[in-house]
Amino acid sequence: MNGKPVQVLLVEDSAGDVSLIRAMLKSEGPASFELTHMVFMGEAEVHLAKGGVDVVLLDMGLPDAHGLESLRRARAAAPGVPLIVMTGLEDEALAAEAMAEGAQDYMIKGQIESHALPRALRHAIERQRMQTETNLFWKNQAQFKEEFLSHVSHELRSPLTAIKQFTSILAGGLAGELNKEQREYLQIVLKNIGQLQSMIDDLLEVPRLKTGKLTIELERVSVANAVTDCCNTFQGSARAKGVTLSYDLPAELPPAHADPTRLRQILIILLDNAIKFTPSGGSVKIQAQVLPQDPSFLLLEISDTGCGMSPEMTGRVFERLYQASGSAPASRKGLGLGLFICKELVTLQGGQISVKSQLDLGSTFSFMLPVFSLSNSIAPLFHNGRWPADSVALVMVKTCFLDASKESQEEGSQQVRSLVERCLMPNLDVLLPKMSYGAEGERFFVAAFANEKGASILVNRIRDQFKRLLQPKQTGLTLSVSYTMLQPFPADAGASAEERVTSMSSHLEQSIQSQSLSEASFHE
Amino acid sequence: MNNKKVLIVEDDADVRLGYRILLQANHYDTVLAADAIGAISEASKQPLDLIVLDLGLPAGDGFVVLEKLQVNPQLSMIPVIVVSGRDLHANKERALKAGASAFVQKPWNDDELLALISQLVTRPGDLVSRVPNTEGS
Repeated sequence: MNGKPVQVLLVEDSAGDVSLIRAMLKSEGPASFELTHMVFMGEAEVHLAKGGVDVVLLDMGLPDAHGLESLRRARAAAPGVPLIVMTGLEDEALAAEAMAEGAQDYMIKGQIESHALPRALRHAIERQRMQTETNLFWKNQAQFKEEFLSHVSHELRSPLTAIKQFTSILAGGLAGELNKEQREYLQIVLKNIGQLQSMIDDLLEVPRLKTGKLTIELERVSVANAVTDCCNTFQGSARAKGVTLSYDLPAELPPAHADPTRLRQILIILLDNAIKFTPSGGSVKIQAQVLPQDPSFLLLEISDTGCGMSPEMTGRVFERLYQASGSAPASRKGLGLGLFICKELVTLQGGQISVKSQLDLGSTFSFMLPVFSLSNSIAPLFHNGRWPADSVALVMVKTCFLDASKESQEEGSQQVRSLVERCLMPNLDVLLPKMSYGAEGERFFVAAFANEKGASILVNRIRDQFKRLLQPKQTGLTLSVSYTMLQPFPADAGASAEERVTSMSSHLEQSIQSQSLSEASFHE
Repeated sequence: MNNKKVLIVEDDADVRLGYRILLQANHYDTVLAADAIGAISEASKQPLDLIVLDLGLPAGDGFVVLEKLQVNPQLSMIPVIVVSGRDLHANKERALKAGASAFVQKPWNDDELLALISQLVTRPGDLVSRVPNTEGS
């Protein structure tokens, strides 16, 4: 700390304290500290934002800022600059709070010793520097880890690609006929290639979960379809192991508000685990139902008659890299990432996951997902008790892709979605979540508080934007926009806001459903 | 024979051979290239129905190839499937923006890749009659 003097900003409204501190720092010699003094937080913020301050001495009772507020404002103005707060004797508790909020130190007025002040200032600067360095180190570490994992998984995928390719070529008989045994053995190789592949995928998923880069797109999802599909996928491997795999779904299961890909990913991890830890002769069962305690959630349960877990293990099973120890002799361990990924995915979709297990008897993994509800989507329109008049329009945007590839279709509908969103009036229109009605192309629906004229203005705006921004000729994307007016429904004076939302959402639901049968009611 | 012709751009000789066996068994003619320069020169030499493109290539990666294809009006019409071991989330969008028709993660599933190829080699002319006229006035 030789050379340039330390730049100290003193924010203090008591003239007596200022001259005391000035005198203390002066005794250190002119080359050590340079003091700038300010009375108001407002001017201190401006000064801090300019930079050049090494440390701040902050009084917690200023004319224009009190207590923790002054600390927060100073930190906001100059996040990396160390702060020492000064309080009265009776305010030591406040000083402790200030430390918790990031102050480096505190001093009690009237007890500041002249030799202690310079040391405290230098300590504060040094501690702040170390903290910044440590934070930077961890940030770099996290980034390095992500880059490393991405690199490793890429390098692992290359040879795995060739292995899978040629195994498939052999298994497909492209290099000559195979006998029954040879075919079976190659299937075993392929199965193991699949396991290796999903481990490599998991390696990449985890840093993405940690850094929040994983995207979840919530829409209306049929849980029943996801469950039956996943069961069908695993039926072969369950049978091969002698495990009975079954599902139990109620006749009327409401759809979930979830990401269909992620829902499948969760089911696959849980089913794969359940079959892995269940011996021959055992069974695995999936059940789904509306959560009895709260009908706004669905409850899915995957239970097995496998080896089960001790209470110690059930407590830790969702931790990253946690692995069952020695309880599953016949099976190979994975990376210990699957259940961690499951938990994160369920949480990101607004649900919860838990497990009940008994050693040697089996385990039941349960998770909840929110039930899809149009009411939730349109509820924001009714904020502040506002009730729209009787004219509500349902606008339908139908897209059609000339390009057959699934990837570019997804890309295209993403573009259309954000384009439609840009055309909407906040608080008046709402783009409804994806609901997967109709088979061909994609449909988006907007609920708009508008009369006929308003609806046709919105329709034209979407068309114009589409023609201007998406260059339909080049992207192979066509779009048709139309609207229908909902049946007027009286704003019953006695109805609560909730009842109104429910009534409107069922109107919308009916219109959306009926349009999938006939589009005659929609106007261009 | 009127087989569709597919250019395979892949630097790994094993993987290249694997592609050739799989595609020939499914009645495609194949042309092979091991790097970006070879890819452009093969694409300029003959009419192609599809390009299967790896991203990690020596001397200019797959994005360079996509860029070069896009600036040539004739080559820009050829559908491209990017098949890569690189991270899907980081590269898919970029590849599609750069002009690729699809992104497939390595190692792929043969049936899915073949289905995608057969969809994309359908020449635009074959499709015209099926395109509904849905754009509003």
